[in-house]
Amino acid sequence: MTSPVDAPNAVRQDKYYLALPLGQRPPLRVIVDKRNLLANLLLLGLLILLAGVSLNTGSAASLSLPATLRALFGAGSPLDTFVIQELRLPRIVAGVVTGGAFALAGCLMQTVARNRLATPGIVGLDNGATAFAVASVVGAGISLAPPAMALTGAAVAAALTFGLTGRIGVRGYRFLVAGIGVGAVFGALTQLMLTRVSIDAANAAYPWTVGSLNARPDHAVLSLSLALLPALLAGIWLTRSLTVLRLSDAVAISLGIAAGRCRMVALSVAVILTGLAVAVAGPVGMVALIGPEFARQLSAKNTVPVVGATLAGAVVMVAADLLGRVILAPIEVPVGIVTALIGSPLLLWILLNPNARTAP
Amino acid sequence: MRVLTHYLSFGKPRSLIGLWLGLSGLLIAIALLSLLYGAGDVGPSRAWQALQDLGAAASYDSEARFVIAELRAPRLWIGLVVGVALGVAGALLQAVTRNPLAEPGLLGVSAGAAFAVTLAILWGADTATLRVSVAQLGALGGCLCVLAAARLQGIGNDPVRLILAGAILSGLLHSLSSLILLYDQHTADEIRFWVVGSLAGRQLDDLVPLFPSLGVAALLTILLARPLAALALGEHVAIGLGHHPRVVRLLVIVVVALLVGGATAAAGPIAFVGLVVPFAARALAGPDIRRTLWLCLPLGPIVVVSADIVSRLVVPPSELPLGVLTALIGAPVLIGVVRGRRLPTL
Repeated sequence: MTSPVDAPNAVRQDKYYLALPLGQRPPLRVIVDKRNLLANLLLLGLLILLAGVSLNTGSAASLSLPATLRALFGAGSPLDTFVIQELRLPRIVAGVVTGGAFALAGCLMQTVARNRLATPGIVGLDNGATAFAVASVVGAGISLAPPAMALTGAAVAAALTFGLTGRIGVRGYRFLVAGIGVGAVFGALTQLMLTRVSIDAANAAYPWTVGSLNARPDHAVLSLSLALLPALLAGIWLTRSLTVLRLSDAVAISLGIAAGRCRMVALSVAVILTGLAVAVAGPVGMVALIGPEFARQLSAKNTVPVVGATLAGAVVMVAADLLGRVILAPIEVPVGIVTALIGSPLLLWILLNPNARTAP
Repeated sequence: MRVLTHYLSFGKPRSLIGLWLGLSGLLIAIALLSLLYGAGDVGPSRAWQALQDLGAAASYDSEARFVIAELRAPRLWIGLVVGVALGVAGALLQAVTRNPLAEPGLLGVSAGAAFAVTLAILWGADTATLRVSVAQLGALGGCLCVLAAARLQGIGNDPVRLILAGAILSGLLHSLSSLILLYDQHTADEIRFWVVGSLAGRQLDDLVPLFPSLGVAALLTILLARPLAALALGEHVAIGLGHHPRVVRLLVIVVVALLVGGATAAAGPIAFVGLVVPFAARALAGPDIRRTLWLCLPLGPIVVVSADIVSRLVVPPSELPLGVLTALIGAPVLIGVVRGRRLPTL
């Protein structure tokens, strides 16, 4: 076995696959860690399994497994086909893309901030996006479509939090508290708008305030899906820079990483994903904590699990939605509450456990 | 007389009596405004007329009289009590944790009270008296949870991490409450208008069950002011002066729970008052806890009652929840404190 110390230029073949040696100069290589590949395959399998269970579970009609499969491919009875294709499948798709988007955003932001607690939800992005989306629904101020408004809100909240506290990643926990403050302001603004409008408009905006997959406007799902793929590619492209950026800025810069630019790109991607995901499902911010955490447990310790976090977020979202539908049936618990109940103790554990590293 | 000055001193270096009287005058003016202005039809001139007739046996404007005596006056009284309770609780909590950001709403004390009340209503207890003591127990639980966790892991020295722990605990309790509300429609109806934090629709009867516990809290505060001032000089100094730091801390936490639980039972969880009021009091009076506490007495009601007036006037036919308004005032203060180059230390 050649160790990196003996031969610095050799890639350890027992731990990595060398994939895609695209033959330009300089050669563009994507190095795939075996353990990460395994973890991602595992997560993908888990996601497919959960999606299947979720597809087969519901209150409207209890379907047998073969009936579900027939309906999925359009060969079942009209009612079954309607339930599966029009009700459950879009819900699962929305869950997968929002979970993936939240978790990817969380992973990027945690890495950039060098703090596992720094998820978009804590920093106030969720509340900002929610406030703007609600403004769009109840018709206060400029009314763009909810996704565009949510995007604007997330950007405004990010600008406020990071603008007010200076450079991210160097001032410890303080920007988190500033983020809590920014989030509180936007939360209050949301309530303000909800009390001002008629009860119908308030009801229309309600899903955005708790975090639920019930509303899921189709155009919002579409725009999020369109954004998720390039964002994932950007994340993969940034993986190496981000891995180094977890160390100090000095190390990163001396290794040839454009630290400022990398940070900017990662943050922008996180803001865009959070905004668009909030437009679909409302503030389900805890997924951005649980997903990357889950992925980190499975993945190799020395990498930033960008793909793993995305998959894990989707898994968490679909599982939480399934749980919320089953646990108190026939009442449906919004997915935002389920994830908050799971995520908050995890967050407290990270914060209070002296052995837990806060750096991702 | 010696005993009085011993416990109720304004503090030495510069007397605050002038400032205190000025603030009290301001409070009286604001209280008057709160009686005069409202969201309904009874405007300031009618209200003024009715206020002058209030002593008379009969009144020609019975509507205005009703609005003032039955709607606005109870609100004012509850606003005064809640303001004092939250302001003093904030100052005490900040002194005992030596953390300028420690605010009952942020540390999970209000959330604990709200959660306890939700549970109590779920289990069928809906008398006002019970609600107060349940809220106070919940507040004590929330407070002890955060402080114990912080002490256990030694992050009590880092103000910002303590606040984060409190914020997360609040979030957890909040989602548990939402779960209960979702599960039980009756509880949801009973509590919907209470959880946002508001002074609207409260009656004077809601205030009566608060008095015993608030009285105890006031007495304890008077007795604890000096030991707390000594504790600010350091543990050893306090022990040297004959105080018992552990006992003092425990008692202060009990007082905070009594005050915040009582205020929450009366008006719902109202965030950020406990941050803004002591902050302003310290800016005016300096770091001595005794001086801060004195100034919190008029400043707390000033903040709460004027926020309540604004909440009635912003959207005329309807009203804003008070909690929304205090968050809009308080969050910028929080950000401002965190932004500073150095966190102020206590």
